Amino acid sequence: MNSFWNGKRRFVALLMFLAGVFVALRVPPVIPFIQLPGEKFPEGFDIPFLDIRLTNTFVGSVIVWILLLLFAVYVSRRRPKDGNEVPPGGFYYLFEVLFEGLMGFVGGIAGGRHFRLIFNMFMTIFLVVLLANWMELVPGVDTVGFIHPHVKEKYDVDSGEYKVITTDGYEIYQGFLGASYVNGQCDWVSPASEAAADQAALVAADAAAASAEAALLQDAAYARYKAAHNGHGEDGEAETGDDHGSDAAVEGDSVALARGEVLDARVAAKQARADRGCYSGVGPVPWADGAEAGDGEAGSKKTKIPLHPDPSSDEAKLVPWVVLPFVRVPSTDLNMTLTIALISFVMIQYIGFKALGIGYLTKFFNFATLFKSPLGGIDVAVGLLELIGDFAKILSFSFRLLGNIFAGSILLFVMSFLIPILPWPFFILEFFVGVIQALVFALLTAIFMNLATISHHHEDDHHDEAH
Amino acid sequence: MDPQSTIILGKAIGAGLAMIGAAGGGIGIGLAVGGAVQAMGRNPDHTPTIQTNMILGVAFAEAVAIYALVVSLIILFVLS
Repeated sequence: MNSFWNGKRRFVALLMFLAGVFVALRVPPVIPFIQLPGEKFPEGFDIPFLDIRLTNTFVGSVIVWILLLLFAVYVSRRRPKDGNEVPPGGFYYLFEVLFEGLMGFVGGIAGGRHFRLIFNMFMTIFLVVLLANWMELVPGVDTVGFIHPHVKEKYDVDSGEYKVITTDGYEIYQGFLGASYVNGQCDWVSPASEAAADQAALVAADAAAASAEAALLQDAAYARYKAAHNGHGEDGEAETGDDHGSDAAVEGDSVALARGEVLDARVAAKQARADRGCYSGVGPVPWADGAEAGDGEAGSKKTKIPLHPDPSSDEAKLVPWVVLPFVRVPSTDLNMTLTIALISFVMIQYIGFKALGIGYLTKFFNFATLFKSPLGGIDVAVGLLELIGDFAKILSFSFRLLGNIFAGSILLFVMSFLIPILPWPFFILEFFVGVIQALVFALLTAIFMNLATISHHHEDDHHDEAH
Repeated sequence: MDPQSTIILGKAIGAGLAMIGAAGGGIGIGLAVGGAVQAMGRNPDHTPTIQTNMILGVAFAEAVAIYALVVSLIILFVLS
């Protein structure tokens, strides 16, 4: 492999560099669009059986799980069985080096009675966080995704209406306003599904009206029947004729009434979304007059543009398009880092109780020396500080990872934008940042778990020695 | 001034001010690594222990700077 790169084929690197120059010139880099919360996928990508919209960071973490499972299956299958002297080779050795190195490393820090549990937690957290961090180096992650216009809602004080504007301040007059993608707070309802919902509501209204009409007709038939049997001669016939006419009128009214109510309800629902800051709908929006569309001089901020303009038109250039990536680095979502931090916190408390029993609580509520020694109050205060410090660990763990990796991926975006030909040094930097952050997260967990197993009390020490 | 420009101005100034906190983390990391390197030079036998403790201390010092970074990122990208 070494000779491959050292020999004549070094020109491959040069060719790749030239290809980078060509691509950078042909397709100019775009300004990165940065968003902190995980972006929600559009409607139709719900997690089954749960009322949760899929986010791209979740997709990223699922990929991490699958990779880890494949990794585990591979390692356990390649492991040499007893009596089998054939070296497994390849990737397996990498795992063995990693495993043995880290085992010695953790053994030096937390090599006690609880080494197995601590090392298991260490290795699990290390591998998960490492894979999650390294996802930012994979091409396609954070860059390939749905393309949608970036719009936001703005309350216009002058007219007292909600206006939909692009980030450059152009007003949008028609089309669906897909998610107000501002801060990812809104759901993206596609125009097709919105229209389908409108249609379904109308059909349901028609069906309701039809059944009501059928009931009315039945009533009328019954009335006619009664009239025919009870009434006498022409009088009854005249009455039935009148009844039929009035029935038709009532039925028409009822259909129109039902449809009107349904439409009102739909408009109210859309208005509610608009009030929440997320408008989505087809057809005329409450605040946009079709007649006013296209008014104003082209190029001025007064120009109103359609949301999905003809791509060849000049208007299309005014719509800012952004990408909603299919996969995003899971460590850039607070949900993922906070989850691992909570697991770490729970394991720290668990191992504390496992090692010291209920006496573990005296670390936090230390009233034993309160009245015995003159400085007993200090012990109480220290215990309470420990309690607060333990909860602060959650915050510290989650924000350290989030901040490092999110800042790192922004660095990669910005550098790929500024120097699209040579962003490699920053990828190498992020490679190491990913390793160090995974190591720090796992190592701190191991150290805190080890600290939780150590008793601070002399009585407890004697107790341990008795064992 | 245009309200939008005012918002951007405020966000930029706020994010910049928040990042002053990173200076403390930098000083702390510098002190920690300097002390650790001196200690490793005096007794190289204890390098693994010193290194571990140094990484821990650096991680703690860095956490404070990262809080500042997160605050400034939130100001820039979450506040609207």
